[in-house]
Amino acid sequence: MSALSTSHGALSRFRATGYIGRRRRTGLWLVLPALVVLVAVLAFPIAASLVVSFQSVDTAGGKFSGTWVGLDNYAQATTDPAFWTAVQNTVYFTVVEVTAVVGLGLVVAMLLNHPLGRSPFFRVILFVPWALAPVANAVMWKWIYNANYGILNQILEALGIIHRPIVWLGDPQLALNALLLADIWKAIPFIALLLLAGLQNVPPILYRAARLDGASAWQTFRFVTLPQLRTAILICVVLQSIWALKVFDLIYVLTKGGPADGTVTLNFLAYRVTFDFGNIGYGAALADILFVMMFVLALVYIRTFRPTRPASGQPA
Amino acid sequence: MEEHELEIQRQMSRRSFLKRSAGVGAGVVALGAVPSILAACTSSATAAPGAASAAASKAPSAAPGTVALNVLAPAAPDPAPPGVAKFNDATVQAFAKWQADNKTTVTYEAPPWPQLHDKMATAFASGNPPWDVVYMSGWAPEFRQNLTAIGDMIPADLKADLPPSSFSTVTWDGKVYGVVFTLSLLTLFYNTELLSKAGIAAPPKNWDELKTYTKELTSGNQYGWVLNYGAPEGIGGVASYWMAFLQQAGGKMYGPDGMPIFNDTPGVDALQLMLDVNTAGTDPGSISYVGINDATNVFTAGKAAMMMNWPFMWVPAQDPKTSKIVGKLGAALLPAGPAGTASIDGTDAWTITTASKDPALAMKLIEFYLDPNVQKSQSIDTGWLPIRLSVLNDPEVQAKSTNAKVVMDQATHPYDSFVTPDYNEVTQAIGTEIQKALKGQKTAKQAIQESSDLVTAIVKKRK
Repeated sequence: MSALSTSHGALSRFRATGYIGRRRRTGLWLVLPALVVLVAVLAFPIAASLVVSFQSVDTAGGKFSGTWVGLDNYAQATTDPAFWTAVQNTVYFTVVEVTAVVGLGLVVAMLLNHPLGRSPFFRVILFVPWALAPVANAVMWKWIYNANYGILNQILEALGIIHRPIVWLGDPQLALNALLLADIWKAIPFIALLLLAGLQNVPPILYRAARLDGASAWQTFRFVTLPQLRTAILICVVLQSIWALKVFDLIYVLTKGGPADGTVTLNFLAYRVTFDFGNIGYGAALADILFVMMFVLALVYIRTFRPTRPASGQPA
Repeated sequence: MEEHELEIQRQMSRRSFLKRSAGVGAGVVALGAVPSILAACTSSATAAPGAASAAASKAPSAAPGTVALNVLAPAAPDPAPPGVAKFNDATVQAFAKWQADNKTTVTYEAPPWPQLHDKMATAFASGNPPWDVVYMSGWAPEFRQNLTAIGDMIPADLKADLPPSSFSTVTWDGKVYGVVFTLSLLTLFYNTELLSKAGIAAPPKNWDELKTYTKELTSGNQYGWVLNYGAPEGIGGVASYWMAFLQQAGGKMYGPDGMPIFNDTPGVDALQLMLDVNTAGTDPGSISYVGINDATNVFTAGKAAMMMNWPFMWVPAQDPKTSKIVGKLGAALLPAGPAGTASIDGTDAWTITTASKDPALAMKLIEFYLDPNVQKSQSIDTGWLPIRLSVLNDPEVQAKSTNAKVVMDQATHPYDSFVTPDYNEVTQAIGTEIQKALKGQKTAKQAIQESSDLVTAIVKKRK
């Protein structure tokens, strides 16, 4: 069915008289306030940002005037070394964070789903990192990583693992991984709870059937648990990817993108270009590139992980 | 019949419920949300800044019968005015009297220093800056189009008591946009006890001594040198420190045409010095210290023997609650390079925004901040040296801030901060290359070459 005929059908259904038509129209009126809010706080800023990204913006004298420059801001990104460094860091950060958070979150969820782990005490403890305000979390980790006074160095020196303090935020690669650790620690609880909810919705009869068929623990996990968690994993991967792509507070508090741009990501670069350099058009272009990346990623995930429908006449 | 009536009632109540709900929802949208959103958007986009500030400003209103003056200042311990920092009672009373005499209520917004630039950038871009007087630190050329040129408003006697060179960082295209209110130059601070224990009689006077002493003062967990190399940009970032060494090597940032000219021997030598001192015995954590306070904490804990810092450090370093080096602090000129000693200016200045409804009154407030008694109190109570030459020579100021003489001596040598409208972008580019060199990813020559290319592109964009 073509899009035209689909929209024509929708219009016809909207215009239909009778009880069903009135019901549909009333429903649309009821969701209208929410749609207006969504357009105002979501669609409008995205559209405005897109428009600004094609302009060179001048804020002199309190005015906000833009001159159309076409794709110049996007072209600038391709020749900006900081942009490519930011893309590299962003991809690395996102891939590692999503893999670690979802993987570790699944392990934690399975532990919580075990009879021994079902005590509410464990769930309360689990929530502590997630409940911390993002900036408070960043400041806490700044002190943990402090080269002179940080507790991480003190513990490692006490255990004899290191003999001199390590400057965790002093090396570009090490600093990026230090930020990853801080963000993964904070992100695991929420993902673990999402996966726990998914685990608890797996019908027990499937596990009984697997046991009866002689499946090992790994086979049960691989052929029963994982397929049943497909949708929950998809949600976790999409959410965590978006959060990883837009990480900002940790970078701002701990490293300001350094050392040597080693921890600068696309989101932070957009902030720096917009507020530090006053280049609003270029900053908007960077933010829109990030937005497109997130959007495409979400579409890819949904397409890859969507539940497969059985062919007609075939059992599910 | 009863069933029919019941059915009608059910249909009517469901229908009426749906209708009323839809009507309420649509009414809320029509009457409440949209007009206020549109009004807010319209006022900031089209109204002149002065008129818009009255409608959209978030600044608190003045006491009845007085005019409001709103000031954006940094929070202490950065240079803060009376009403924000802790001044003595006489100054506090003088401030209250000034407000009463001028029928003015001065209201402060005083965020921590690192937040100032972003706050200003956002407010100026919105067209509704709510302040009359704004603190600047190297940003006056950047925000000049939102600032009032006040060169002609500064009284002659005040101008005569200020170092002429102090206006260089608030001047662009021949127009003066502010007044520097504290003589804040980088000088050398050293731990006299650590130097004495190492058998070093006096602080380093030149680059060779700096490298040698740094090495001799480094052992175990104690380092010869510490500084915050973690922030590339801005005044007090690693690029600005390199600019001090650049001038010591006889170099300059820009030529007469405004293009960068630092890709030469002085530029490379200045960075090489930093690398050599780094290898000789700089605290390894320096590359991760984003703010000067991070490095200062290491120094005042007695873990590093020398650092460059702003004059304000003298007072807190003598406070036993925060310092372990009370009575062991010395100050000296920065070690001389091939062209002698040189430094950079902190460029702390007061400016007046174009949004101010009473620039003359705002200027009077700035004159109050620069009043000799207030300047003296600023020095003695907060540690930030005065800018007025007459107050700098005051015996009481010199007695309390024994480093005042050192700073004044440093001020007789070059101290250009090379401030431009794109100072943040320039220093970000240079600072990042310097950090790469400090991490061994590039040689000094490569880093300076790349910096020059990047700054050239930035300057061309400005032109």
